[in-house]
Amino acid sequence: MSPASPAPSSPVPVGARRPRLATGLLLLTLLVLVAFVLDVALGPVRIPVLTVARHLLGFGDAADTTTAFIVHQIRLPKALTALAVGSGLAVSGLQMQTLFRNPLAGPSALGLTAGAGLGVALVMLTSGSMASASAIRQLGFSGSWLLVLAATAGAALVMALVLALAARVRDNVVLLIVGLMVASVTGAIVSLWQYFSAPEQIQEYLLWTFGALGGVTGPHLAVLATVVGLGLGLALASAKPLNALLLGENYARSLGLRVRRSRTLIILSTSLLAGSITAFCGPIGFVGIAVPHLTRALLGTADHRLLLPGACLLGAALVLACDCLAQLPGSQLTLPINVVTSLLGAPVVLWVVLRRPVRSAA
Amino acid sequence: MPQILPSPGRAGGLAFPFPTRRSSWLLSLLLASHLVGWGQARVALPSAPARTTRPTPAPPAAVGRTTVQYARGFRLDYVGNYKVISVQNPFEPQAKVVRYLLVPRGAARPAGYPDAQVIETPLRSLVGLSSMHVALADFLGASDLVVGVGSFKYVSAARVRQRIAAGQVYEVGQGKELNNELLVAHHPDLVMTTGWPGEGVDHFQTLRAAGVPVLINSEWVETTPLARAEWVKVLAALLNKESVVNQKFDAVAREYQRLAALGRGAAKKPSVVVGIPFKDVWYVPDTDSYMAQFLRDAGATYHWDRTKAASGSLALSFEAVAPVALGADYWLQTGTLATKAALLAQDTRYAAFAPVKHNRIFNNNLRTNAQGSNDYWESGAMHPDVILADLLYILHPELLPTWTLRYYQPVR
Repeated sequence: MSPASPAPSSPVPVGARRPRLATGLLLLTLLVLVAFVLDVALGPVRIPVLTVARHLLGFGDAADTTTAFIVHQIRLPKALTALAVGSGLAVSGLQMQTLFRNPLAGPSALGLTAGAGLGVALVMLTSGSMASASAIRQLGFSGSWLLVLAATAGAALVMALVLALAARVRDNVVLLIVGLMVASVTGAIVSLWQYFSAPEQIQEYLLWTFGALGGVTGPHLAVLATVVGLGLGLALASAKPLNALLLGENYARSLGLRVRRSRTLIILSTSLLAGSITAFCGPIGFVGIAVPHLTRALLGTADHRLLLPGACLLGAALVLACDCLAQLPGSQLTLPINVVTSLLGAPVVLWVVLRRPVRSAA
Repeated sequence: MPQILPSPGRAGGLAFPFPTRRSSWLLSLLLASHLVGWGQARVALPSAPARTTRPTPAPPAAVGRTTVQYARGFRLDYVGNYKVISVQNPFEPQAKVVRYLLVPRGAARPAGYPDAQVIETPLRSLVGLSSMHVALADFLGASDLVVGVGSFKYVSAARVRQRIAAGQVYEVGQGKELNNELLVAHHPDLVMTTGWPGEGVDHFQTLRAAGVPVLINSEWVETTPLARAEWVKVLAALLNKESVVNQKFDAVAREYQRLAALGRGAAKKPSVVVGIPFKDVWYVPDTDSYMAQFLRDAGATYHWDRTKAASGSLALSFEAVAPVALGADYWLQTGTLATKAALLAQDTRYAAFAPVKHNRIFNNNLRTNAQGSNDYWESGAMHPDVILADLLYILHPELLPTWTLRYYQPVR
């Protein structure tokens, strides 16, 4: 596929495309910056923007340890987490939609989120009653690392299953069904555990399913950033295969694409992104499905070399903005991020989709 | 951790962050998802006959009487040779009042209360679904009447544990897992359960149809520790042990008031944060929680002392609590995180909190037994005076220099 080949049904003249795309990406970058600054500036504790900026740049009043703590230990890690979550989920969603040629696919399509949920449920709901959970504890993992480890293991298990099947199954639709069935089975197991658990354990698990951007700090944040970075790198490397896959697997094969190898690469990238994000922040819905559509609508292209960075930026901006709103300006309460992304994101997508015809995902 | 169907409500930040409405929602979900047509339960009820408050003279069956001083969730009336217990949610006065008629065994059912459940007194056997109910029986010296519990795991009382070991107690489960067949087969004189008053009548249709009375103990709607403990008078009335409860509860109340006077008069009021956050959410007790009352009576400065929440506990963001925690003198009730290492493993940021720096963290898990069940939620409910003494000793050691902690211990 030649680098500049326009999408077949592009309504925009070829000559107008380049500048528009460049402007689009530039605007998105600006949007991310603004959302990032806003996210750090806003919070339940009112701190003047200039004070926040001074603390961020290292000129803060050293005596004001409370403000320093809030800016450096709470808001900055949270905003960085939002950045990683937004970009990672959006990109993995885009990859899934193209791979499965299905506009409804998302990071959860492979059953990864469900796998991570199973790992977390194992720790939270069966602690004490199941040998495996206490065995993990004996290895020295405790607290939040234990949860992260369990979620990663759950996601990795499902990924291994999907990869093994991907090697045998030629049809992507079958793979999609496999993912859905895996999600269904893990969901049933979690329900069963919930049924036999004490209310306070269920409460803990419910809180996890609401999703949270806070609490990912220090070494956790470093691990999350590294894994998401790796996943994004793999995704960018798969931009050309993704473009070829848009035309269908047979056509891609005739173009000389090693479909199976590309597919493995794409699944690996998505697994890293969705698995690590779910492990640290819980299942955050909506972003993965919606942002790819928004990006296509905004940039008006089907070229993944532009769509991938575009989705990355838009996803980050969206999650940052949602996090600002989750703080309920002027209130001491925070809404669960999962609720905000869906509550505010869905109308936005509807607006974009209804305002202009969107190219089909596949 | 809280015990079987932990008194869900106004414990606030006491247990694992456990907000009232949500947990009661969860509770109803667990208890009630099998319930049939509970809407019918809310039909208009005739209001209580006026004579309930005017007992006829010289009731032959009453072995002494007791009066309710602190609790607002139930009232106890002596009428003729029987007693009427009315359970109500003080926060929803318009909600249905559930009435129980306590009738001497063999006596005829009194007229005038078509919807009330009849319970024959004195009870000869009792099934308590929550460990708190075991504590009520234990307090009255009636542990041997406990023939069934919700879960063996959550029982701490030594006498009942002995009886469990001897195979004299059966386990009936809770919520949807409630073993109705076992209960019907054993036919205890009463099953005591936790729930919303006015909502739980039809959860137990099977049992009621089989003639097993079910009493809803909603002690957790109370806003003060003494009011909560006073629910023991319900069981006392059921056992005709009014004279025992008058003596024992009054002793607890007197001691509590004595200690509260000490705490409220303390010159310095150290600041306190309560509970642990989960990611972004930190549930803290609101002004109406009995924990806030404990803190007021123990002479503490509590940042949310005057903040009212619809649900009994406030769901705050981590950032809203962190500034308070950073400068607090003490950190109480860290839940399942029983060591400093476990605290820091959950979130390294806690290291910046002053109570962590100065080793002033106390958890209420001293009396946790081998099964992992914490007696704070069991006998603690009946001994608010001891809990208050613990808190006074922690916050003002000079006021009770010889005290030894009984429910709390330092987190190291």
